[in-house]
Amino acid sequence: MSVVALRLAGPLQAWGSGSRFVRRSTDIAPTKSGIIGMIAAARGLRRTDPLEKLLDLSFGVRIDQPGQLLRDFQTAQRPRRDRNGDLDWQSLPLSTRYYLTDATFLAVLEGERALVEGIDEAVRAPHFPLYLGRRSCPPAGPVVLGVSDQSLHDVLETWPWLASSRVQKQHRERVVRLATIRDAAPDETAVESIRDTPVSFDPNHRDYAWRSVVRDTVEVPNPHGVSDPAPEHDPMTVLGG
Amino acid sequence: MFLTKMQINPRRRGAQQLLSSPQAMHAAVLAGFPDARPTEDGRILWRLDTYATHRVLLFIASPDKPDLTHLVEQAGWPTTQAWQTAAYDGLLGSLRAGQRWQFRLTANPVRSGRREEWTETKPLGHVTVEQQQQWLLDRAERLGFRIAPSTTGAGEPDLAVVDRSVRRFGRGGASVTISMATFDGHLDIEDVDAMRRSLTFGIGRAKAYGCGLLTLSRPGGAG
Repeated sequence: MSVVALRLAGPLQAWGSGSRFVRRSTDIAPTKSGIIGMIAAARGLRRTDPLEKLLDLSFGVRIDQPGQLLRDFQTAQRPRRDRNGDLDWQSLPLSTRYYLTDATFLAVLEGERALVEGIDEAVRAPHFPLYLGRRSCPPAGPVVLGVSDQSLHDVLETWPWLASSRVQKQHRERVVRLATIRDAAPDETAVESIRDTPVSFDPNHRDYAWRSVVRDTVEVPNPHGVSDPAPEHDPMTVLGG
Repeated sequence: MFLTKMQINPRRRGAQQLLSSPQAMHAAVLAGFPDARPTEDGRILWRLDTYATHRVLLFIASPDKPDLTHLVEQAGWPTTQAWQTAAYDGLLGSLRAGQRWQFRLTANPVRSGRREEWTETKPLGHVTVEQQQQWLLDRAERLGFRIAPSTTGAGEPDLAVVDRSVRRFGRGGASVTISMATFDGHLDIEDVDAMRRSLTFGIGRAKAYGCGLLTLSRPGGAG
């Protein structure tokens, strides 16, 4: 098994797993369906094409820089020309859209070597443009970080912190704790299921299956850290049992 | 007296309810005792120490041993760890004048004041770090100790406000506002009886709401 690591950063991102109708929400971290969709686009698959092997990948994400939530009350209109040639603005449904601003994530996909290398190649030279969950959210900087032979868990644990140096300097400790969200291993008891395994992106019958996720934390060194964490005050040690 | 330590799991819904309201936490702590009234030894005091979003510790000083089963089930780790209770009397008996200890205290520093339209004085919370530190320095002598001089700063007391907040929460229909400050530092014991009283009966106001519990540990570093 090999893994490919992706860096997801940009002014705006939106990763919805439960969006319906005019309320378009975002999760706090990239969703598996969002990333598989992005890779399918990079490989030039159409929305109606079968996803096949992409569904065998296991997925994990680390929240390197959580960013802030942005709410957009969207009142978009589109121009329509009347029969007599006048321009007339037609309102689209009012919708509330949520975005993450100024966030950075490390996403890791694990699968067979050939498949993972194919993903690496496709994302470096994408067939359709890449975007971070929503068409209006282009990525900032290169997305692919490379292929390696480690396990998904090791990459999430050992990859250097991707947060911007401004954010790194705000954390004074030498070690930071980052949240991770990953697929549950087959023998692991998952606490949470979300409807986030893409079955088909076909706009006429889009379909998602359930996905078991595990939320965890990893500790990563902070290159800009200056202090060790403050020692804990433990009054129990002086009581002698 | 006994001192109890329990780790809270802040991801649980029950824990979030308790952490959001000192009134609810007070009720949950008192529910761990068949008789929660103060005795001549001391009273129930509790404090929450937050070191990170995931690490929250509850300390309780009490005349009797608590049974925190309900609290562990609601807001702890029921299958892996419960709580730790240790006798406090050994330490209380071993206190001597001149000893230096590292301490931690969460308190509700207030002064009594009156605003223009008020007809009577009320306790008003101290807001700035300087006011809050001065509040403790003013009281130290009466409480039986002296804040040790700092090893780095020239002539400054070894006292830091490591955490402070203004808590607002509901109590019945009304709302309560208290300003809390957590102090860390080193102290030298001067009056053993007063010190023992400070440890067992607490310091300052709002003792039901997680304020007033002073705890000691071994002095660190050169102190």
